[in-house]
Amino acid sequence: MVDKAGVVYDLGYKPYEGQRLGRSGAIKAMLKDGLRRTFGIRRKARRKIYPWGLVVLAFLPAIVFVGLAFALSSFAPDAESPFGGHAQYISLVGTVIILFVASAAPNLLIPDREEGVLSVYSSRPMTAWDYIWGRVGALALVASAFFLLPNLLMYVGFAALDEAGLAAALIDNLDDLLKVLGTMVAYVIGYGAPALLISTYAKRVGPAAGIYLAVVFISPGFAEMFRTLDFPGSRFGTLIAVLQHPEVIRNWVFDESQGSVPMSAVGFEPWVSILFIALVGAGTMYLMARRYRLEL
Amino acid sequence: MSAAAISANNLGHAYGDVIALHHLDLEVPPGRIGLVGANGAGKTTLIKILLGILEPTVGAVNVLGTDPADDLITVRSRIGYMPEGECLPKDQTAADFVAYAAELAGVPPNESRQRASDILTMVGLHEERFRYLGDFSTGMKQRAMLAQAIVHDPEMVFLDEPTAGLDPSGREEMLDLIGRLGGFGINVLVSSHVLPDIEQTCDWVVMLDGGQVLRNGPLSGLTETGVVELEVVDGAELVAAELRRMGAEVDEAGQTLTITSSPDDPFLAARDALAATGTALRKLGARSTTLEDIFLGEAPSDGR
Repeated sequence: MVDKAGVVYDLGYKPYEGQRLGRSGAIKAMLKDGLRRTFGIRRKARRKIYPWGLVVLAFLPAIVFVGLAFALSSFAPDAESPFGGHAQYISLVGTVIILFVASAAPNLLIPDREEGVLSVYSSRPMTAWDYIWGRVGALALVASAFFLLPNLLMYVGFAALDEAGLAAALIDNLDDLLKVLGTMVAYVIGYGAPALLISTYAKRVGPAAGIYLAVVFISPGFAEMFRTLDFPGSRFGTLIAVLQHPEVIRNWVFDESQGSVPMSAVGFEPWVSILFIALVGAGTMYLMARRYRLEL
Repeated sequence: MSAAAISANNLGHAYGDVIALHHLDLEVPPGRIGLVGANGAGKTTLIKILLGILEPTVGAVNVLGTDPADDLITVRSRIGYMPEGECLPKDQTAADFVAYAAELAGVPPNESRQRASDILTMVGLHEERFRYLGDFSTGMKQRAMLAQAIVHDPEMVFLDEPTAGLDPSGREEMLDLIGRLGGFGINVLVSSHVLPDIEQTCDWVVMLDGGQVLRNGPLSGLTETGVVELEVVDGAELVAAELRRMGAEVDEAGQTLTITSSPDDPFLAARDALAATGTALRKLGARSTTLEDIFLGEAPSDGR
């Protein structure tokens, strides 16, 4: 039988006398690890398929839209873009963010707990809060990139087609970019926080992702049911539509119609959705701190 | 600043109604320290308090002169930890994870990769460093866990049951590695319920039982009994009589005599008695005991 335990070679031991980056170095290392983990970098090939597939899904339409707009502009310079603007594109990247955080949040949190890696963090210059910020930061960074970069591509691409010239168009349309940034915060927290919350307590990655997707996509159905019920306070039940709070904010920011969104239909103003997202975000951080303080 | 590597003052910890540590007072010097006791004796609870994961219910501890409750970051900057259970992500290579462990301790990225490579070589995983940890055998995992604990060159490393699950040869190699850590200037606290492991690697022993300190002292002091045994070729009764005349207490068993107490150095008493009786000596030496004997002799017999 082959001895797989290996052989010990005494090549000596060198004490480390170089620079130590301390707590900030630890958090930076966590952020970098989080990015690698979410994209499957330095992992087996099958871990890369899903996240990189979502990258293609997020960027490809933007590239196609801008490319087709270039093509159309050559023979119909005054034609309106048939693909809509940022508000419409945000609907698409919103779905991509949901699909992304459904996988990324459990992968960031659950293996550390279930494989015992938290004990390594507990012997490094960091606190439970440092760990939480490291993981939440990585998720927020990547989700923001999913949201922002395709919109940035469209912003610059359409500005390049503008008759006023690139620079003038970029400045003229700056408010679009600010709206995208504001909406991005709502989408990243609104969709990311529930995924983190579920992953804080779930024991396995697959079920955590499944529960999250079920919560997000089924909750509007329940909200719709509450909208049609007629008992005191039933309108508050519409607020469980996790999927639609960021959409309410997007519609409000881009002056779009709220359509048949349940919470708007029962008279809730957009600030209620902002408050809901803020509370879910703060509650998630609180519960994560409680959970991780026991192990870090 | 205290010169002790670890000290505890009236330290206690309870999980609800269950008392894990009961008013511990400890002073442990730098070096290789064995923390021994049966399962449930409070070893892992003590280590978690030293790491700052758990807070004492009463009392305080100091690790390398710093109380983790006062300055967690300083304590954690100076230590390493190999836990009892697994702590390795299955989907990373040994080189990537050990380098990451170094980065988490503040070692810059480039140096981290170099140190990871060096340490993995030192623990015997050079060839396997680019394999995924999920594919490692138990022995290889234990080595990788030791590597992550020392990759950042800590001043002190806590090893919780480092030989658990290892086959005899893997165990010997792990004990050899642990024994060498002291030579690298790393203080070691080895927690184990396998007492021969502690005897083989440590020079100071803290013996816990039921959350209390049973013994705390140098290993040599604990295992030396002060009893001298000698075996003679013939005439044991004459030697025994001479020793008794000199004031020593002697037990006889055939040609073997055991000097359990003597007014002077028992070796000198044995020499003088042999010379006085003209008896030929076959064997002479100090009788030492094992940690197991001490533990079984002192631990309450209720199985705690």
